[in-house]
Amino acid sequence: MYERILVPTDGSDVAEAAVDHALDLAEKYDAEVHALYVVDIDSVNFSLGTEQVDRLKQGRFDEMGELKEKADEATGVVADRGAERTVEVVEHVSGGRPHKVIADYAEDHGIDLIVMGSHGRAGVRRALLGSVTERTLRSTHVPVLVVDYLDED
Amino acid sequence: MTRSSLLLQSDLLPEALDISFKLVPAILVLSMLGLFLTIGFVFRVADTDNMWVAGRSIGNLENGMAIGANWMSAASYLGMAASIALAGFYGLVFVVGWTTGYFILLIFLAAQLRRFGKYTAPDFVGDRFNSDSARAIAAVTTFLIGFVYAIGQAKGMALVSLYIFGDYGGLIPGLDGYQVMVVFMMTITVGYLTLSGMMGATKNQAVQYTILIVAFVAGLYAVGWTQGYSTVLPQLEYGALISQLGSEFSEPFASSSYYLWVATTFSLIVGTCGLPHVLVRFYTVESERTARWSTVWGLFFICILYWSAPAFAAFGTDLYSQNVGPTYGDPGMASAASEVIVVLAAQLAELPQWFVGLVAAGGIAAAIATVAGLFIAGSSAISHDIYTNIINEDATQRQQILVGRLSIVALGALTTLAALNPASSIAALVGYAFSLAGSVLFPMFFLGMWWENANRQGALAGMTTGLTLWSIPMINQIVPTYIGSLEAPLSAGLAQWMPAIGSALITLPIVFVVTIVVSMATDEPSLETKRIVRQCHSPEPMGQQETAEDVVADGGEDVATDGGRAVDDAAAEGDRADGDAAAEDR
Repeated sequence: MYERILVPTDGSDVAEAAVDHALDLAEKYDAEVHALYVVDIDSVNFSLGTEQVDRLKQGRFDEMGELKEKADEATGVVADRGAERTVEVVEHVSGGRPHKVIADYAEDHGIDLIVMGSHGRAGVRRALLGSVTERTLRSTHVPVLVVDYLDED
Repeated sequence: MTRSSLLLQSDLLPEALDISFKLVPAILVLSMLGLFLTIGFVFRVADTDNMWVAGRSIGNLENGMAIGANWMSAASYLGMAASIALAGFYGLVFVVGWTTGYFILLIFLAAQLRRFGKYTAPDFVGDRFNSDSARAIAAVTTFLIGFVYAIGQAKGMALVSLYIFGDYGGLIPGLDGYQVMVVFMMTITVGYLTLSGMMGATKNQAVQYTILIVAFVAGLYAVGWTQGYSTVLPQLEYGALISQLGSEFSEPFASSSYYLWVATTFSLIVGTCGLPHVLVRFYTVESERTARWSTVWGLFFICILYWSAPAFAAFGTDLYSQNVGPTYGDPGMASAASEVIVVLAAQLAELPQWFVGLVAAGGIAAAIATVAGLFIAGSSAISHDIYTNIINEDATQRQQILVGRLSIVALGALTTLAALNPASSIAALVGYAFSLAGSVLFPMFFLGMWWENANRQGALAGMTTGLTLWSIPMINQIVPTYIGSLEAPLSAGLAQWMPAIGSALITLPIVFVVTIVVSMATDEPSLETKRIVRQCHSPEPMGQQETAEDVVADGGEDVATDGGRAVDDAAAEGDRADGDAAAEDR
């Protein structure tokens, strides 16, 4: 049924809540898991500065150590947990608007299931922070499994 | 300059300026804003599958234009000519200070910053001195600089848009026409910044530079030509007017003391090298060579406007005397009218309305380009340096966006409030930000980059001293203008010897001494920090896309300032490529 499962992650607990679901399914179907970290250009603009957006545009992501580290760490978590279960994990880092990149990646790499976490935010908090998951749902035709993250505290 | 500090509500509307709604100029300004958004959209970073594909690099010329646009604000476009028109010789401090600063930047900081290779200005301070407190102070200073600097921009935009959109005083209860325009223009600017996330930054800045320089220079030539002042080189020909303009314009030190002249110039020079929104560009240029040549081009592009500003001021002053009334003496030209002397000159020369609108639009382009740079530097100081590095290390990208956007809105709101009844002229308001940058950030960059023994304790003591000393003349001269019951300055003696606009002349040497003494009295920084500092100005060229930290990490034992190891660029590049391949393979 599923051959390639995509897990978009930003390294947060919310995103990682989805990882076990993805790995479990992958184990059952003997599928490959793709861990995708999207460098959000908006975030680079507001937190590192517009000049850094130019830097990315010139293809110099490589010299942006801290950013790269964070990306590698996020996808690394998926790879490590995959290794425990002997599931094959492909790590990937892309840049752009997260929902768009996720949808494009799914199309380009023949993904047949996207598993991602969600805050289940509502009201003001949702309006302020938005929901990548919700936008992804609207941008792709690939089935999406949404794992709600319930904050323990 | 003293007159401007007595600014009252009533003369915030520039007399003689034709204030009414004008259709063609309004369309011009709105389509200019639309153009910025379109460019931002067209040249945004494409959603990319692979982050390691090299794009087109940004050349010296384009970088230079970006530096020019980022640099030249309403203070250069309007304020400089205004100061020259009102204060004559004293106004030249802005021309001198704001260009000389770039030489210091070129010689001591541009290429070295490229080697250090981080993201933001507080990044340098935090990493160089290994201290979150130092980072936080630098971040707060960056935010403050953005705020103070932007007040002048808001004032400039509002005055110019009075010409274009007219007087809507009372539209918002309690606010006069000028204040309504402050709110209107700042809302547009903040909206533009928060919406246009993935701007084609450098492209947009190149366009903004082109608009502002064409508008300014064309305005000067048209005024000079039609009024018979000049033909091909108004920048020199205005000299013929000098004797007619009155001693207030041409006589050196007629309206200000030698001391004030020196203090202001010094402050503007060192401030230039400490402004975060100027420095960040050097973190991202492709190589040291690009860093240097971008500075040279940037300076040239800036000078095109600066050579022209005194001529524009002279023409404007003469036209004002002929058509409105004597510029000097009592009552003379009010400061609000002088602020728009560039637009006013074009209007008094009876140039077509669309052309005057173009000159006005150039001022708005200058202000928006600079506010964008300032606010983004401010938002990254809060979002990256304070929030992500200190408060919440696990911050997700979405949280960073939220904090960044909120910082921009906060900056916009603060600026709008302060600009409703600004304390001084555009140029002076911006000058206060330079004093701050020169008192706090420049000493840290200079000592941090050139003296390896500067340490955490020294930096903390130095920055705290700088902030405190900077705020003394500000409280003395500026704060009282916002409090009705007090009269500025609180102490005339202090205002004379430590003027807010030139306070760095006093504060900078003190900050240097404090930093050096405290550094020497405490433990030296770690060897690794020293090596990074040495590598930042080692005579050995470094491979492109390499930072000092990388070199030190790759085998820093042999790194030295004199001689040092011969970095085999080819081998270094080879290693790098292998590393990249490995990274991609995973």
